Amino acid sequence: MGKDAFTPQKRVTSGSLPTTTTNGGGKYLPGRVVPRGRQIKKTFNNIRITILCGFVTILVLRGTIGVGNLGSPDADAVDQSIIEETNRILAEIRSDSDPTDPEQPPDAEINPNVTYTLGPKIENWDFSRKNWLESNPEFPNHVNGKPRILLLTGSPPNPCDNPIGDHYLLKAVKNKIDYCRIHGIEIVYNMAHLDKELAGYWAKLPMIRRLMLSHPEVEWIWWMDSDALFTDMVFEIPLSKYTNHNLVIHGYPDLLFEQKSWIALNTGSFLFRNCQWSLDLLDAWAPMGPKGSIRDEAGKILTANLKGRPAFEADDQSALIYLLMSQKGQWMDRVFIENSYYLHGYWAGLVDRYEEMIEKYHPGLGDERWPFVTHFVGCKPCGSYGDYPVERCLRSMERAFNFADNQVLKLYGFSHRGLLSPKIRRTRNETVMPLEYVDQFDIRRAKH
Amino acid sequence: MMERCLGAYRWRRMQRAFRKFKVTIICLLLTIVVLRGTIGAGKFGTPEQDYLEIRDHLIHTSRKRAEPHRVLEEVQPQQTMASDSSSSGGGGSATTNSYTEFDINTILKDEEPDDKPDPNKPYSLGPKISDWDEQRATWLKENPQFPNFIGPNKPRVLLVTGSSPKPCENPVGDHYLLKSIKNKIDYCRLHGVEVFYNMALLDAEMAGFWAKLPLIRKLLLSHPEIEFLWWMDSDAMFTDMAFEVPWERYRDSNFVMHGWNEMVYDEKNWIGLNTGSFLLRNCQWSLDILDSWAPMGPKGKVREEAGKILTRELKNRPVFEADDQSAMVYLLATQRDKWGDKVYLENAYYLHGYWGILVDRYEEMIENYHPGLGDHRWPLVTHFVGCKPCGKFGDYPVERCLKQMDRAFNFGDNQILQMYGFTHKSLASRRVKRVRNETSNPLEVKDELGLLHPAFKAVKVSSS
Repeated sequence: MGKDAFTPQKRVTSGSLPTTTTNGGGKYLPGRVVPRGRQIKKTFNNIRITILCGFVTILVLRGTIGVGNLGSPDADAVDQSIIEETNRILAEIRSDSDPTDPEQPPDAEINPNVTYTLGPKIENWDFSRKNWLESNPEFPNHVNGKPRILLLTGSPPNPCDNPIGDHYLLKAVKNKIDYCRIHGIEIVYNMAHLDKELAGYWAKLPMIRRLMLSHPEVEWIWWMDSDALFTDMVFEIPLSKYTNHNLVIHGYPDLLFEQKSWIALNTGSFLFRNCQWSLDLLDAWAPMGPKGSIRDEAGKILTANLKGRPAFEADDQSALIYLLMSQKGQWMDRVFIENSYYLHGYWAGLVDRYEEMIEKYHPGLGDERWPFVTHFVGCKPCGSYGDYPVERCLRSMERAFNFADNQVLKLYGFSHRGLLSPKIRRTRNETVMPLEYVDQFDIRRAKH
Repeated sequence: MMERCLGAYRWRRMQRAFRKFKVTIICLLLTIVVLRGTIGAGKFGTPEQDYLEIRDHLIHTSRKRAEPHRVLEEVQPQQTMASDSSSSGGGGSATTNSYTEFDINTILKDEEPDDKPDPNKPYSLGPKISDWDEQRATWLKENPQFPNFIGPNKPRVLLVTGSSPKPCENPVGDHYLLKSIKNKIDYCRLHGVEVFYNMALLDAEMAGFWAKLPLIRKLLLSHPEIEFLWWMDSDAMFTDMAFEVPWERYRDSNFVMHGWNEMVYDEKNWIGLNTGSFLLRNCQWSLDILDSWAPMGPKGKVREEAGKILTRELKNRPVFEADDQSAMVYLLATQRDKWGDKVYLENAYYLHGYWGILVDRYEEMIENYHPGLGDHRWPLVTHFVGCKPCGKFGDYPVERCLKQMDRAFNFGDNQILQMYGFTHKSLASRRVKRVRNETSNPLEVKDELGLLHPAFKAVKVSSS
């Protein structure tokens, strides 16, 4: 009932409104009059929420992406830019591109009809060398009663595909430095590709030849792979056994001649005498090496002729085996196939037995009781993928390294805490008379 | 529909309440979002991590250049790896053949806890030896096959350097350590110097730059045949392969460092000398100075306090814990009478050469001078102080450091390669080119610098 009283009143008031406020033409909507101020207030009320939402969005975006120059509240953004810069530089360093010649001319196609040679043929090297040694007595080929040996090893000039590879190259070099210091052997670490044609595992050939010819005072050149570690620091190569031989290499004669196996010999660790015969062998060995079609074709021949060889381009080991097999009469009388000690020791059968060796045997044996060299064939820590699980490889390399390092640290009275531990512990207290231990533990002293 | 559930009155009350508290609710949401953006919400992460995840997901699927990015990320501490899936994929698998996703720390084991040193006992490098000269002289007489002089003016020298047994934090750090040791091997082979590469921390208390002190003492005592021990930092490279250290000059000195007398004794400047490359004679005096040098080294409070003293006493030294170089400056400046007469501060050649002033001038040097000078014209050693290639961040931009280290390495390597007829294509290039043709008479060819058979390597000829 009250309702009825309302509506007429309302109608009356609404009716009267246009008359009191009309001043300029019936533009207003019938029924409402809104002063300016209140309109603004109302609009503001309505867009209050919008403004608040706008703030939220800006804050969230600032917290995540940042606003460029205005900066982001997270200080890691600065680190992020440094890290990206570092990434760019690292990628550049790792790439094989040469900064100085951006447009490299394509490698000249080698003529497959012309036999590749390591250099001009040298005919009288033995004679020349003997003359040189006689006229240069201050550079003898025997030092302290032992023939002068030069250990040659190396790695590619660019960083490994992954950082752990470089770390193990470093450890391997330390291992070689230690052995060579103890035994008076000089080291040449090669990081240059002397010959574009013979890249990869073939790169050792031109380097061996070059060193032989430049250093006539060196009697033996010992090539060792970068993934081979010395594990017997006391053992010395019995060079007196090889007075009538010019190539000492680890292998098994029956695998070579009867089974024609591609792993009959191992070219990861071998010795070449500095003489004419060695130069001739290198010249006969090299032709399968030049990369490209020659190496691929040679690879097929080798796979066809050697037992167990997978199909891939020619490698130096298979080529040497094939050469010695097929030209047996010419070379084999001067080749000593050594297997009485581990001039090369395949790692898989050795690394798990180190604790047993420590318990039962002692350094200086060089054979399966205490291997001279542990060679990590197939691990390829410098590449991206190896033939074996990474964990097994790296764990074994670490153990081999520490196994050898313990023999070096013994003189100083320390030892690794465990074969996998980088830390050391004291095995002998400091004393005021250190020289009595030097006499006892220095490997060099023990021999002489 | 809601109206029917709750009743019209209730529903309208709710609507009204909602309208009133609209702003409050929005402000609440806003606060939560902002807090998540700044502090984070634990395992729910932050918007930045969400963003990074999304970005990485897109990168993995569309761009191949993720490789170096991923490699560096692996090395970073946990902050960015909280929700990163790439780390959990590779590290856990024990059978992967791929090296890129492997974490070496899953292998390395520490089988025993560190020994805790007695805090009451003052630190000492070892029991005091007072008669080392006599002990050593007796030993040398009894062992004539290990003479301490291998030539008329040539003492037996052991070059000592080293690095950490763990991989570098920086992915290319180990590569530069490898190049650096190759460089040292080359110089030492030419000059008849033996090399010792240390990768063991002999004393946990003297870690960091102080680690050389216990090592040096141990080597001096274990190798009495060594006349001089040459310590060289792992970030220093030989750039003059032909320069032979003038040993006769140091006949009456026991400790040779690069530096300037005025800067050390008068100014007490903390860079008045450099302990990155120095020679130390094997004698009682050296053992004594090592004992006097060591006390500022033990890590922890001792090193911190010592650092403050050094910053106060030495000119221009910044504030940080005590380092071996500042400690040596302080020791010499305050105890000149005791040690000064046997210390030779060499500056006639660069036994240590600060890389900043040398590396840009290599081309000029090649044009105007020749190896064998050892000084500012052709520095013996270029020392990359502050670069820290093994760590993540050094004091200088990464690019400058690494590129200049490449140049310095190649500059030194060219002198080795020229023996064999090669040289690097340029100082920045890893590739080599032939500069001397092969010949059928190799023995008639002499290398330009005479490094193949240098005089300082000649063996004494016995007249028999």
